[in-house]
Amino acid sequence: MEIIEKIKTNKLLEYQTEIQKICLHKLQSNPLPNPKSELWRLSNKTKFSNFLDYSFNEKDLKFDSPYPNNSQSTIRLIIGENCQIEFVEENYSIEQLSEDEVDKYIKEQISSFDQNENWSDLLNLSLSCKKNILGLKVNGSKIPPIEIFSHASSNSLNAKTLVIFLEKNCDVELIQVNLGKENSSLSQSTFFFLEENSSLNHGVVSYGENGSNLLNSLNVIQQKNSEYNLGSLHFKFNYARFEINIKQSQGNAKTNIKGMQITKKDEQISTYTKIDFNGPNGFLDQINKSLADDKSHAIFEGSIIVPKIAQKTDASQLSRNLLLSDLAQIDTKPQLEIIADDVKCKHGATISQLNEEELFYMRTRGVTLAEASKLQLSSYFQEIISFIPVSKDKWDLLDKLLNEN
Amino acid sequence: MQSQMKESDPILEVENLFASTNNLPILKGVSLTVYPGEIHAIMGRNGCGKSTLSKIIAGHPSYNITNGDIKYSGENINSLEPEERSQSGIFLGFQYPIEIPGVSNLEFLRVSTNARRKFLNKEELDTFDFEELVKEKLELVKMDQAFLSRSVNQGFSGGEKKRNEILQMALLEPKIAILDETDSGLDIDALRIVASGIKKISNTQTGIILITHYQRLLDEIEPNYVHVMADGQIIKTGGSDLALELEKKGYEWTDHFVKET
Ligand SMILES: Nc1ncnc2c1ncn2[C@@H]1O[C@H](COP(=O)(O)OP(=O)(O)O)[C@@H](O)[C@H]1O
Ligand SMILES: [Mg+2]
Repeated sequence: MEIIEKIKTNKLLEYQTEIQKICLHKLQSNPLPNPKSELWRLSNKTKFSNFLDYSFNEKDLKFDSPYPNNSQSTIRLIIGENCQIEFVEENYSIEQLSEDEVDKYIKEQISSFDQNENWSDLLNLSLSCKKNILGLKVNGSKIPPIEIFSHASSNSLNAKTLVIFLEKNCDVELIQVNLGKENSSLSQSTFFFLEENSSLNHGVVSYGENGSNLLNSLNVIQQKNSEYNLGSLHFKFNYARFEINIKQSQGNAKTNIKGMQITKKDEQISTYTKIDFNGPNGFLDQINKSLADDKSHAIFEGSIIVPKIAQKTDASQLSRNLLLSDLAQIDTKPQLEIIADDVKCKHGATISQLNEEELFYMRTRGVTLAEASKLQLSSYFQEIISFIPVSKDKWDLLDKLLNEN
Repeated sequence: MQSQMKESDPILEVENLFASTNNLPILKGVSLTVYPGEIHAIMGRNGCGKSTLSKIIAGHPSYNITNGDIKYSGENINSLEPEERSQSGIFLGFQYPIEIPGVSNLEFLRVSTNARRKFLNKEELDTFDFEELVKEKLELVKMDQAFLSRSVNQGFSGGEKKRNEILQMALLEPKIAILDETDSGLDIDALRIVASGIKKISNTQTGIILITHYQRLLDEIEPNYVHVMADGQIIKTGGSDLALELEKKGYEWTDHFVKET
């Protein structure tokens, strides 16, 4: 774990921004998360240490996006490559946040960071140089869909950070694509701030190649009357963690999450979510699906926090899991922490296998076992995929990626 | 009757079939031969093995054949996959049709029809042509087109599920159809629809096995043979009058029968 050694001895970076200094300082005394804590105990130690074995790379190589060419109607941004962003139209504006704005916001966030819960962000913010931090503020309506790419380079560890403010009443569709490269580690941290009455349809699609690793952390703060919809898909990573932290800062907001992770071979992909209701009348509808094949391991742990102040919270969290092989492993733990008394909360988890009777039924109608399994799997995916805001041509690409082995 | 000379070869021959699941014997020597143009009825108490027999003929992987043979058009099919059996013309109408959430009924019907057509060396149908064909067949079972856009059997009422089975049968044009309690739980109108669907596919080349508890289906479709099953065996075979007698006397009447050899 070369990087940890360098952090400890403060030999990682010559020039450090203020944020990097703060985060490095936090890590120096206690450089690794507690392996016994709930958020880290199931994490594969060898894989985690492999994540940290790649040497840190501030620059990165040009990348080939497997997505079709940018359509006219979308705004495509690549973290680390776009320096001056400014779209000012009649109905909307997308502008870069000033360094001061980014610094101020991130410092505020760091002040409440916890060593285990926010370890991935601490690492990210220790490493992300100015060039790799993209900060935007978005305002207005009829905004074209935004695509934001983040990618690793082979044989190195890259860190990218995204900060977005959605101003009052604005309504955005944003898809974030995280691409892992062969033998690489990507640390991606994202911070969204949704002002009153704003709405974000957010898609996160992360996929890698052989030996890709990912630490993907997503932090969302929702002010009242905001709506945050997240559809996510993670697949093809040797090791990936998707950590979602959502806070309805005044309650009275809506959050919908549909997430999916697919593991094969000996991959480990995990999703941790924490939804914090900090006011009354909050709403959450969450479903997470895992699909584990071969000798792989999928993990979902979700916690919902409903303090006294969060009366009339309506929260539902489901974890649905499909085991495709006897050697695969799925761990799931939806968790509620409820102190308020007037709330409607439900949670549940199931682990199942392909439904034999459904397969037999399809086969008696001439559908081959392979086709029948595929039909069943795609119906399993459908609910999640249809929630990810992607256009038809990209969906075809996703479909193709999903069907590859 | 059984000794009557047949002009053609049998479609289906079940010969002294023993089968079990998880080492639990369920079928204990079933023999049954179906010739082209014949309609057979199988009756018997719940739990006697009727559905198991039908699923084994269709190739359900959870049952092991421990003895005996199933022959279709003269060929042993003991080890054929369920999809191969279906493609070659064996149809099973399920007692409890399975719901498949997320799989569109229309697409499912098309894939399945094309699998059969491919086997028959007929041209496969694209979505457009298939819709034409399926509309025509929907008419037969008096189903609304809205059923096509729903997931397979999902949220269908009992009667709608059974009509969907008949629709599938009509599309697949099987050589032998085994209909497992397709009449159970149907009102009179639905029963008529199902019966007329069965009559439509029944001809001098096809064989039909009706598993039923009720005379009312047999009033609509008169069987050539009625078999009574008990404890994994066929214990009595007769003509259509056997069903009437059974209806009058109940299954208790058959309790003292021993297997006719
Ligand atoms: N998969 C199975 N596992 C265990 N027992 C079974 C299974 N399938 C059928 N059986 C048993 O075999 C017997 C016959 O069942 P079935 O064929 O469904 O009867 P029927 O259709 O005549 O009512 C019943 O006792 C049933 O419980
Ligand atoms: Mg039955």
